[in-house]
Amino acid sequence: MSLLSIEQLTKEYDGIRALDRVSLKVEGGSIKGLIGPNGAGKSTLFHLISGVEKPDSGKILFKKRDITNMESHERSALGIGRTFQTVQVWGNMTVVENVMAGMHRRLKGSLFSYGLWLPWIRTSEKEALKEAKEILNSLGLLGKWESTASQLPYGKQKLLELGRALAMKPQLLLLDEPASGLTLSEIEQLSERISEMRQKGVTVFIVEHHMGMVMEVADEIAVLHNGELIAEGKPENVRRNSVVMEAYLTRGSAGK
Amino acid sequence: MGAIYALVALGFVTISRASQIINFAQGEFVMLGGVATFFLLNGVRLPYPLAALIAVMIVVLVGFAMYLSVLYPLRKASILILIMATLGISIFLSSTSGLIFGTLPKALPPFTDEQPLMFWGISMLPQSVWVLVSTLVLLTFLYLLSHRTLLGKAMEASSTDPLGADLLGISRSLMVFLAFGVSAGVGAFAGILITPIFFTSYNSGTLLGLKGFIAAVLGGWGKNSGAILGGFVLGIVESLSLAFIPSGYKDAVAFVILLLILYFRPKGILGSPFIDSRRW
Amino acid sequence: MSSQPAKGAQKEFRKRDLFYLVPLWVLSLIAPDPYLYHKKEFKRKDLYYLGAIGLAPLTWSDPHFHHVMVLAGIYAILALGLSLFMGYAGQISLGHAAFFGIGAYTTAILTTRHGFSPFVALWASVLSASAVAYLIGRPILKLKGYFLALATLGFGEIFLVMVRESTDLTGGVIGIFGIPWFSVAGFSFDTYLKQYYLIWGVVAGLFIFSKNLVRSKLGRALLAVAASEDAASSVGINVPRIKLEIFVLGAAFAGLAGSLFACIMSTANPETFGLGVTVPIVMMVILGGMGTIYGPVAGAILLTWLMDILSRYQEYSLPIYSIILILLLIFFPDGIGTRLNVRILYLIGYWAKKRKRDEGKL
Ligand SMILES: Nc1ncnc2c1ncn2[C@@H]1O[C@H](COP(=O)(O)OP(=O)(O)OP(=O)(O)O)[C@@H](O)[C@H]1O
Ligand SMILES: [Mg+2]
Repeated sequence: MSLLSIEQLTKEYDGIRALDRVSLKVEGGSIKGLIGPNGAGKSTLFHLISGVEKPDSGKILFKKRDITNMESHERSALGIGRTFQTVQVWGNMTVVENVMAGMHRRLKGSLFSYGLWLPWIRTSEKEALKEAKEILNSLGLLGKWESTASQLPYGKQKLLELGRALAMKPQLLLLDEPASGLTLSEIEQLSERISEMRQKGVTVFIVEHHMGMVMEVADEIAVLHNGELIAEGKPENVRRNSVVMEAYLTRGSAGK
Repeated sequence: MGAIYALVALGFVTISRASQIINFAQGEFVMLGGVATFFLLNGVRLPYPLAALIAVMIVVLVGFAMYLSVLYPLRKASILILIMATLGISIFLSSTSGLIFGTLPKALPPFTDEQPLMFWGISMLPQSVWVLVSTLVLLTFLYLLSHRTLLGKAMEASSTDPLGADLLGISRSLMVFLAFGVSAGVGAFAGILITPIFFTSYNSGTLLGLKGFIAAVLGGWGKNSGAILGGFVLGIVESLSLAFIPSGYKDAVAFVILLLILYFRPKGILGSPFIDSRRW
Repeated sequence: MSSQPAKGAQKEFRKRDLFYLVPLWVLSLIAPDPYLYHKKEFKRKDLYYLGAIGLAPLTWSDPHFHHVMVLAGIYAILALGLSLFMGYAGQISLGHAAFFGIGAYTTAILTTRHGFSPFVALWASVLSASAVAYLIGRPILKLKGYFLALATLGFGEIFLVMVRESTDLTGGVIGIFGIPWFSVAGFSFDTYLKQYYLIWGVVAGLFIFSKNLVRSKLGRALLAVAASEDAASSVGINVPRIKLEIFVLGAAFAGLAGSLFACIMSTANPETFGLGVTVPIVMMVILGGMGTIYGPVAGAILLTWLMDILSRYQEYSLPIYSIILILLLIFFPDGIGTRLNVRILYLIGYWAKKRKRDEGKL
């Protein structure tokens, strides 16, 4: 049984069909790529999966549960983490706090236990800090852990966003163009991290325009064009698919 | 009353169309219009029309001054700061006018004599007719101003698409500046219309302003037609409510309507171009 | 350099900056550094503050001073609660005065009509304010920006109308008189000095509570909600719920403040719970710096003194007061401490760079 399965998902924005009856599956433990020209509906699909938006029709199943009408935060509680195409780090917090906020779900305690700073809150906060630093270390951000997130350069903010999503310990990680705006060495580092996730048992669903990178890391690739799923399969097959080539060549008409 | 709410609501909409600012001192323009006319009429002994005209001009100047001195320096500030600044101005205007013109409630004489007129069996005070007619004239004028002139278009452009407006060489600040003038003028006019019917005192502006804002939200935020409709609906509902609840609670009615509308239909009756339903 | 000038700091050095130095230095002792959010542990500085607050009335035994500080303390409680909601969670409330009023009236009615002790009434006040906040917060808090401001303002106005009109319960415009002094277990707080210690003790307690909140998971969640709700819910933060929680907590603070206020003034009337309270407490939060815990307390002391000084000018006080508020907003839109801190960070960065440059040349 696949971890995530999407059935006949449709979404319209003021008459524009951003997604048209899209069905696909993401297997547990795999890395799946999603490509398509600009305006194809990739980000929209991610918004629907993560619950930022609700579909007009269709179904989303995660771990065999129907999550179509769940709130965004409930989905993350089930284990869906994500990053955004335009970085959404919290610029009003420090780098390490961003990551610690990613652990929100895993830290327990009511408002009063925090206000009174009960002994076990003290230890859990300390551990959270330690863990957050480890995550930052693995992303090469530890040197900046004390600075305000808004002061980081764009590429580092993207990495930080990834770190924040990792801190959730998600089972399914949705990455929306993680490589855009990153330098070559940062992209390499990113691919490494993503490949590592497979070993950790995290399933990754990744939207990316940087072909070299998706082709390299993904086990399987789906192609969206004008809101429709036009191809799906192994990277090398998709690369040779004529329909896909055509979609990319006529991308001028894709944006409408 | 509905007509007055409509005018105040229009004042809000005029400014927000140009700038995204919501001027919590809008009601003070109304108060100032009424109080200043009273002063010119009884203190300086000018003839009525002249007093009214000068009063409107004074209030327009106040509107300009307010923009230049406070809102222009704060043009990059957050919503909260703008709210507080306009609230501050509102306190300033009401307390200062209490200081200058005295704190007693004032009533202007009606424009014409007080024999009730009969229309199709409904009796109306001549002043109410005046209010309705002048409101309609003013509304038409404003409609033409905002939809048929280059100025109106420029104002709208500078709000909805600041960057584009900049590219076209429209000065955003100038537009907002003018919008403040227009909305102050409209407010003052409303004040003059209303003072013969209701007493106006230095502290009556705030509540009036809030109700105007409510009317604008009720009708559909950001639309002139919405503001007018909202104003009349609010006025009618308020007076109808008097049949069911003690008169003291009348002021609460508007706010209850507000909470209901914000909860069930934040777009307002006519819908609003600025609010998309999903994000609420 | 580690101490980069923060966003918004001017690029080049101005002679004028030298004049900032002395007040800057003084303020840097007082104001916590806004850019080091994670340094939210308690430090020795906090003990100094506590000591200063504790010793002040002994060295300065003027009863008027005590009374003004008591009022400042009440405002500080209000502003603390509001600061969690506005400064941290980034929301707007202009209806906070209503919760203050609910607290005051609950205490007034329970003590004068039903003979409850002020201590019991205090808890009832906290509960009633929170309950109302919970009911009103559920529908209102999904609004944002101006609409949230308007809705909360509307709620405040409705409250005022109800208080004025339900004469049987609240005494209408005249209000309720003869509320007893606050007392616990037979100990009555009947002098300004005792009240001073009562109020500032409460402030200290709530301050510690709030500070614990903001340095924990909850504070991070609040800041996250303020910065981006989408991102916040993407890591599993229940945005509507946390907003509601903090709104209710703010209301509970306000209810507590209201109850204490009623006992100290021994009256409750609608005059005291309108925009006349909302404007100053929101100003305290803004001037103290959004997203700080010291800010609202400092702002409360500052503004209460300002209001006290101005009240001597009778009818001129309101115009002057509003002008001062507007000027403060124009010159310190992000808080007095914050603005000065930005300058200080900038200056440090500037001098460090200059030093480096000079060394490089040698
Ligand atoms: N909030 C919205 N309102 C209206 N239309 C929208 C909205 N979001 C997306 N769209 C439209 O939906 C279509 C798909 O957009 P989407 O962002 O999903 O594309 P994408 O595949 O992510 O493109 P890109 O590669 O540029 O990120 C586009 O035509 C876009 O204009
Ligand atoms: Mg996209």
